[in-house]
Amino acid sequence: MKNILRLTVFAGLFLGSCSKDFLEKDPIVGVTEENFYKTEADAIAAVNAAYATLQFQLSPAGHFRWFWGDIMSDDSEKGGSGDNDTNTLLQLENFKGTSNIDLLESEWGANYEGIYRANVVLEKVPPIVMDEKLKARILAEAKFIRAWNFYNLVIMFGGVPLADHVLAPSEYNLPRASAEEVWNLIERDLTEASEDLWVRSEYPLADLGRITKGAAQSLLVKTYLWREKWTEAKTTAEAIVNSGEYQLVADYADIFPVYGENNEESIFEIQYMNASGGNFGKNNANEGSFTNVYTRARGAFGGYGFNIPTQDFVDEFFKEGFEDPRLKSTVFRLGEPMGDRGIFTIDATGGFPYQYYPKKYFSNKSEDAPFGDPIPNGGTNDRVIRYADVLLMHAEAAFKANDENAARTSLNLVRARVGIPSINFSGQALLDAIYRERRLELGLEAHRFFDLVRTGRAPAVLGSLGFTAGTHELFPIPQSQIQATNGALTQNPNY
Amino acid sequence: MRFLFSILFSLVAFAAFSQQKVSGRVTLQTDGEAAIGVSVKIKGVSGGGVTDLDGNYSLTVLNSNAVLVFEYTGYVAQEIVVGNQSTINVVLSENMSTLEEVVVTGYGAQKRSSISGAVSSVSSEDIAERPILRVEQALQGRTAGVQVAQVSGSPGSALSVRVRGVGTINNSDPLYIVDGVPVEGLDFLNPNDIETVNVLKDAASAAIYGSRGANGVVLITTKGGKRNQAGTISYDAYYGIQSPARLLDLLDATEYATLQNEAFLAAGQVPRPEFVDPAVLGEGTDWQEAIFQTAPIMSHQLTFAGGAERSAYTLSGNYFSQDGIVGGEKANFQRATVRFNGMHDLKSWLTIGNNLGFTWLKRNGLTENSQYNSPLIRALNMDPTTPVRKADGTFAYSQYADTDIANPVNAIEQTYDTWTSNRLVGNVFGDVKLAKGLTFRTTYSMDVTFAVSNRFFPRFDLSNVPSISDAPAAEKNLVNSVGVANNTWKNWQWENVMTYTKNFNEKHDLTLIAGTTALSNRFDTNGGANTNLPSNDPDDAYIGNTIDPIESQSAFQSASESSLFSMFGKANYELNNTYLFSATFRADGSSRFGANNRFGFFPSFSAGWIASHEDFWNINAINFFKIRASWGQNGNDRIGDYSFTTVVYNGQNYTFSPDEIITNGSVALSAANPDLKWETSTQTDIGLDLEMMEGRIGFTADYYIKETSDMLYAAPIPLVAGTAPPIQNVATAENRGLELTLNYRNYDHALHYTIGGNISFLKSEVTGLGRGGEPVLSGYVQSATAYAAKTDVGQPLGSFFGYVTDGIFQTPEEVEAHAFQNTGTAPGDIRFKDLNGDDVIDLNDQTFIGNPTPRISYGFNTDFEFKGFELNIFFQGTEGNDIFDNTVRYDFSYVNRPSTALKRWTGPGTSDSEPRVNLSDPNQNVRVSDRFVKDGSYLRLKTLQFAYNLPSGWLKKARMQKMKIYVTGQNLLTFTKYSGLDPEIGNVGGSLEIGIDRGFYPQARTVMGGVSVTF
Repeated sequence: MKNILRLTVFAGLFLGSCSKDFLEKDPIVGVTEENFYKTEADAIAAVNAAYATLQFQLSPAGHFRWFWGDIMSDDSEKGGSGDNDTNTLLQLENFKGTSNIDLLESEWGANYEGIYRANVVLEKVPPIVMDEKLKARILAEAKFIRAWNFYNLVIMFGGVPLADHVLAPSEYNLPRASAEEVWNLIERDLTEASEDLWVRSEYPLADLGRITKGAAQSLLVKTYLWREKWTEAKTTAEAIVNSGEYQLVADYADIFPVYGENNEESIFEIQYMNASGGNFGKNNANEGSFTNVYTRARGAFGGYGFNIPTQDFVDEFFKEGFEDPRLKSTVFRLGEPMGDRGIFTIDATGGFPYQYYPKKYFSNKSEDAPFGDPIPNGGTNDRVIRYADVLLMHAEAAFKANDENAARTSLNLVRARVGIPSINFSGQALLDAIYRERRLELGLEAHRFFDLVRTGRAPAVLGSLGFTAGTHELFPIPQSQIQATNGALTQNPNY
Repeated sequence: MRFLFSILFSLVAFAAFSQQKVSGRVTLQTDGEAAIGVSVKIKGVSGGGVTDLDGNYSLTVLNSNAVLVFEYTGYVAQEIVVGNQSTINVVLSENMSTLEEVVVTGYGAQKRSSISGAVSSVSSEDIAERPILRVEQALQGRTAGVQVAQVSGSPGSALSVRVRGVGTINNSDPLYIVDGVPVEGLDFLNPNDIETVNVLKDAASAAIYGSRGANGVVLITTKGGKRNQAGTISYDAYYGIQSPARLLDLLDATEYATLQNEAFLAAGQVPRPEFVDPAVLGEGTDWQEAIFQTAPIMSHQLTFAGGAERSAYTLSGNYFSQDGIVGGEKANFQRATVRFNGMHDLKSWLTIGNNLGFTWLKRNGLTENSQYNSPLIRALNMDPTTPVRKADGTFAYSQYADTDIANPVNAIEQTYDTWTSNRLVGNVFGDVKLAKGLTFRTTYSMDVTFAVSNRFFPRFDLSNVPSISDAPAAEKNLVNSVGVANNTWKNWQWENVMTYTKNFNEKHDLTLIAGTTALSNRFDTNGGANTNLPSNDPDDAYIGNTIDPIESQSAFQSASESSLFSMFGKANYELNNTYLFSATFRADGSSRFGANNRFGFFPSFSAGWIASHEDFWNINAINFFKIRASWGQNGNDRIGDYSFTTVVYNGQNYTFSPDEIITNGSVALSAANPDLKWETSTQTDIGLDLEMMEGRIGFTADYYIKETSDMLYAAPIPLVAGTAPPIQNVATAENRGLELTLNYRNYDHALHYTIGGNISFLKSEVTGLGRGGEPVLSGYVQSATAYAAKTDVGQPLGSFFGYVTDGIFQTPEEVEAHAFQNTGTAPGDIRFKDLNGDDVIDLNDQTFIGNPTPRISYGFNTDFEFKGFELNIFFQGTEGNDIFDNTVRYDFSYVNRPSTALKRWTGPGTSDSEPRVNLSDPNQNVRVSDRFVKDGSYLRLKTLQFAYNLPSGWLKKARMQKMKIYVTGQNLLTFTKYSGLDPEIGNVGGSLEIGIDRGFYPQARTVMGGVSVTF
């Protein structure tokens, strides 16, 4: 009996004494932060995670670049299965959007996720012992990604909280900085990044898709245009031209097909592929784009029929008395074949009354993902900045810097590529021609709305659609974010 | 020493002199038949005997002062002094009182009369009265304060069990303990093996389970043999047919085409040419008919049970199979179980035993409760002008539908989704009697599951012209694929409990319990997928059988583990059988909690006063009267593993190189919270138990206030942080409720009857959400691209939130006079209330429009027994809950609609509730509004059973102890205003997705016949 008592006591003691180790369970899959950021491989993995945010399109609601750049403009309308299909996007398109629309919150959040991951790289990678040239490049890549996300935020919302480091919980209520301060950070990041980034030809093929010096410079040119720093814009654009790294693709029709990805004209391109296991282009662990299926016609084409080109947009291509050759690479018209998916008829699209569908992000059935959830997983890369854009930005900057010759030269390079007559206007007519060329050359590439706002033409062009000067240059700050910061964030005017 | 010796000697001598033999027959007062297996013992002496098949017993007593004790479950025990009788015949009368029934509580058992907490019980007899398919159903409508609802009506689906409402936005399932083993899910358990189910409802009862008791504890005891029991062999079987209880009234083809034509015209479009004359289309296809079917259900059980003086055992085997009323065999659920429970008194001081159950189950799964692609949502939305099959016998597709809404019959046929599980749950234990009143029990338990998920997506193409593949994407799958996932759960627990009981001076009853538990869980999963198999035969669906294994194969593997170490103690003290006191304390250490809060402490106290045991009690009508009160704290540790630490996750990939190489990226996805701890729920309970008329009337009432604090919630942090929020202990909620149970039994005459019922009232609300108090949205409704539910401070969890309708605009003037709604708003559209009065209807005009949690849940049953005939009627219902009807995909203009759409607005005065039809719905009539919120209250005849017990004379000839044949109907009648297929909709997704009908898989109406034989 005593033995049993002893055994009992022993059992209790044994359990008591082993409990400390017994209760410490570290994750089996994944490593804790203390054990990471030690090696070169860790540094590369860290910056890759920041790259992954470039692909974000749904987090949790949609925030596609073409939502803002195209649908908000006069180039396209929402489309879909009817007004109720993502009606909030229609509200925004009609300039009746409210601050509690989840699409805005998603855009806001996705950009800050990119900024956070870039900040992690900028904080955790410097102490790692590794090849210094590579380290400098990785830090520069992170700076570009941070700048890119702030760029998206500032053009949509104006001044935003300036999260230039990984925020501690006590800093979550960071108030909005001025737009000026945000632009300063973008300019600084891009200037620094373009010093350390490698030029395109310096990268081994295996790194195709990484941010190049040219990409940082191009985004810097855009930044200078927004800030009306014409001379800097012109000089930087010329540096890109003179680098000899880029040239226009001979045939405009070769830019957007799958074989045109990362071509000689491509400067900044978000990489997508069709063969990953996840679906719906969600944030993590997915390499597919939802844009393909989202903007493809419904019915037999298996898409959701969004981003429908307007008649006004199509008409623009006929204003020089001939059909601009770029139209056939930009929109599908009735009766045309939609790749290998069949002929575009109203019936085949499920009876929706749309006469046009966007073509640049169309993918063929033969390019569908072979497994996973193949339908929503498109592989088409997002062509964010093309060399043609840089030439047109150069033309605009040169014009503003009073160098009309340089402006005309760049403009006509773009026109010559598609074999249309050169322009020899000057003055306002030349500026208008440069603006118009942007609409034609870069149509449905998510530039239009922001070009209109940047150049001050939005009230004139979009006024009939509901755009009010002094209000709709900016989108409302997401209400949820004002609430989550206990009002530390202030709303944009008139919302 | 010598003195002792002499006493011993004299005792032996005395015994030798006066030994006497006693025999007799025990019969039952109810029917006068022999009572078989009645335990007959001599008081104060171990051993004894049982009555035989004729009710006879015989034993030898030492002297005439000996007292014989006759005990028989369900009957009043009798004690008789032998005196000089040699024949003692006994008539046992049925026990109507439940006060003496022993209730299993945490780490012990107590007489119901001594309990000072709130515990509800269901016994195997209750279960026998109405065959149940799953254990959770035993609680439905039977236990006040326990709300049970179907998560889906498909075979094998779990039920949501909520003890005293939902106290948390996290996992709200109670802690299930089967024979002392904590388990997740009850699908492995065969209801026929259940002896009792006890629900610990108040915090004081559940506090002994510490950090896991906050949602209540359900203690399940399986049947073991009883000592001194003649061996029995029982066979139980039933077979039944299930059928849909109700089909919806949808538009037929003519009506559908008529409305489509109107919708086209209203949108300024030319109607479809094939609908020019709707009348020629006739009725078209009834897609509900096409997917619903009758389906069999069956169960066979064989049980061997018995017990000798020093051992007892039960060995049982069961096979259960159920097909689905949607999907038939494609929704089949099968379960085979083997159980062996045994115990043996190895030494006078040592008893060893085991409870072991092995379960094999296989469930074929269909997509359920999905607004996107379940067969049900498709059947409700598919246009009736499309036939099920083409003229050549292959499946047809709709010319109008594109995504989501596809041919449901084909979709069912193309589904190959199987979950096969092998699970061993059980324990081995040793009971050691250390000293008088002091026992020690050590128990080692295990719960080991190996489960495999097999999925195959075959190749198919419903195209009319396969060469151009004209079918929409949802109607074809051109590349087949196969996926497999292996899951292993390995949980073990070692528990050591010391119990001391002592009675002092016949006045003081003391029970002390102290113990430790170590628990370890590990989950492993791995699997893979492949595509493009040359064979399209599901039997060939193996990853290896592919054309190109390298390119397309994928694999995954993951694992996680957690552990818990606890110490607990409990003291019960009873004075004069009148004053009851109980206190418990538990300390839990958990690997899930942050380093800064590794241990949690959970105290509780309760007290009771049995006034009827006081000398002054002179109310004869009330034979038992007890009031009780309790207070305690519990925790909820279901927060996932590793939430406290920052984990850098791989897989945040990007694609580089012309060959599109997926390249790994790594980052921490959420912020850490080293302070993370369990949720705490603090509950106060006041209760009353009384019995009148010698137990004929029993009444129990409980009032409670349950406050959840430190609720684990990943409160949204400003998105500027760039990471997912850390889980924090920030939210709070409060539930208050009243539970009443009333039973009346009358066994006085040949007609025995019982009438009983219970009712629970519940009021719950969220009282805090931490940080900015940002509400939580849930219940995404695709047709409105918006959320239907919102959890906010001051509201019940998952409340419906949206616009408030205010009739239909009848004239353009009315549209003009009202706040601006949308550009295309026209007469015939819904008028929404301008709640903030700013003359614009926008997101700011939404409010709370419904509560999915019943305010009142109730059940009542009546049992009649007359000369072997039994009739059992059981009703169950809820009151005051709403359902959000999300069964019509209004975002597609071509979907079918309920026939109420015929009452649409067609001109001034034609309708004030059903809007006009319009292809593009410019007014957004479909937005989340009270138009879709419907009263979900119901009253359901859950079970009606009629049984006949064969008379004993006949049985004797057949050498049987018992034979019962019965017919049972389930879900025969439902009274509800809800227009959907089934109003009994529980959680259909996360814990905040409550009462949303997305084409709910309805429960079947079942009629079955059964037999129960004991030899």
